[in-house]
Amino acid sequence: MPGRTRPIDKFATAVGKCSKEGSAYGKCIVADYHNVHKDKCMTEFLRLKDCFLVSV
Amino acid sequence: MNVLSIRAFIPPLTRRCLSLPPTRRYAVQAPGAPTMDIFSHSHKWMQKERAAANTESSRNVDYLRDEAASRLCERLMDINRHFPHVLDLGANACNVARMLTLPSPDSPDAGPRSKRIGKLTAADSSETFLFRDAGLPFNQQIDVHRQVLAAPELLPFDANSFDAVLSCLSMHWINDLPSVLAQVNHILRPDCPFIGVMMGGDSLFELRTSLQLAEQERRGGVSTHTSPLADVRDVGGLLQRAGFNLLTVDVDDIVVDFPDMFSLMNDLQAMGESNAVITREKGAIQRDVLLAAEGIYRELHGNEDGSLPATFRLIYMIGWKNSPEQAKPLERGTGMFSIKDYLETQGKKDDGK
Repeated sequence: MPGRTRPIDKFATAVGKCSKEGSAYGKCIVADYHNVHKDKCMTEFLRLKDCFLVSV
Repeated sequence: MNVLSIRAFIPPLTRRCLSLPPTRRYAVQAPGAPTMDIFSHSHKWMQKERAAANTESSRNVDYLRDEAASRLCERLMDINRHFPHVLDLGANACNVARMLTLPSPDSPDAGPRSKRIGKLTAADSSETFLFRDAGLPFNQQIDVHRQVLAAPELLPFDANSFDAVLSCLSMHWINDLPSVLAQVNHILRPDCPFIGVMMGGDSLFELRTSLQLAEQERRGGVSTHTSPLADVRDVGGLLQRAGFNLLTVDVDDIVVDFPDMFSLMNDLQAMGESNAVITREKGAIQRDVLLAAEGIYRELHGNEDGSLPATFRLIYMIGWKNSPEQAKPLERGTGMFSIKDYLETQGKKDDGK
């Protein structure tokens, strides 16, 4: 579709700018992925989301 | 008939409220073969129509289907005979037809692979997808007929009418696989092969696990984002149940590296392979979950160079329709030659080398 950026593309570029926070969040989950519960990595996720909201 | 009744043990008041039948009956199974619908055919049809409507992006993501189709054609060419009439079931964009017009990668000078094929009937339920490449030059090099199927699980063909049936990456969306395979067996001529390839096993396990972990952490539960797939173990049983003989099942893993999770999902959508499970959560996936899944994918499965691998497990199956002239295994106990002796002498020879 020419002349129009799909929202998912915008989303992907914004996420790409937060690789450091994304990696910190991923590490927190992967550290013990047999025992994941809701809001297990809340602080890391909020940091990732803040970065994402700034870069979007 | 002396029937023991529990009526006597129920207090009188309850007895009046409950109307228990005075006799016990046998439990019977419901007639017919009840099947559970897992995939929504109408939704799948819509996804394919939409994907094919954007011709350019749809052609860009043909890499997987072309590779699978090419390997499928190699398996067909291994059979040394002429095929006057071949059916391509679930043809997508006629990838098999295009691959047949190209020479084999093993022998590039041998000419197109289609010279041992008479007529090819390509059948699919999505019209736009099927006719996407109808204007390309390869259509002149092979006698291909496109037929739109009204229902993807009902084959409107006569019995004993095809010399081979192919199927390339479409059988993983079929609900009632035993019935479709039995129909394939029915429309094949005796002693003719069915050669199919389908997604199976642990295809896209990276995406599946990342989304599950992300949803578990963000929302406290998981929903279906990837299809349940048949395993290699199941395929042999399915073919046997449909009445095929001389089965061959083998597995190919294709790992594709993507720059990020969104390109993978984008490609899947452009292929028309988005989620079509009936019990899926309607509506778009939550942004938070996507954001979380990307981080987990990268950490759990990512390559060292920063790319993300996605595994596609292709299951190839070959089955032959039964025929009295077909070669059969000899009866038990009729062997006149001891394989033990042969292997022992052979082993001594190999030791001397």
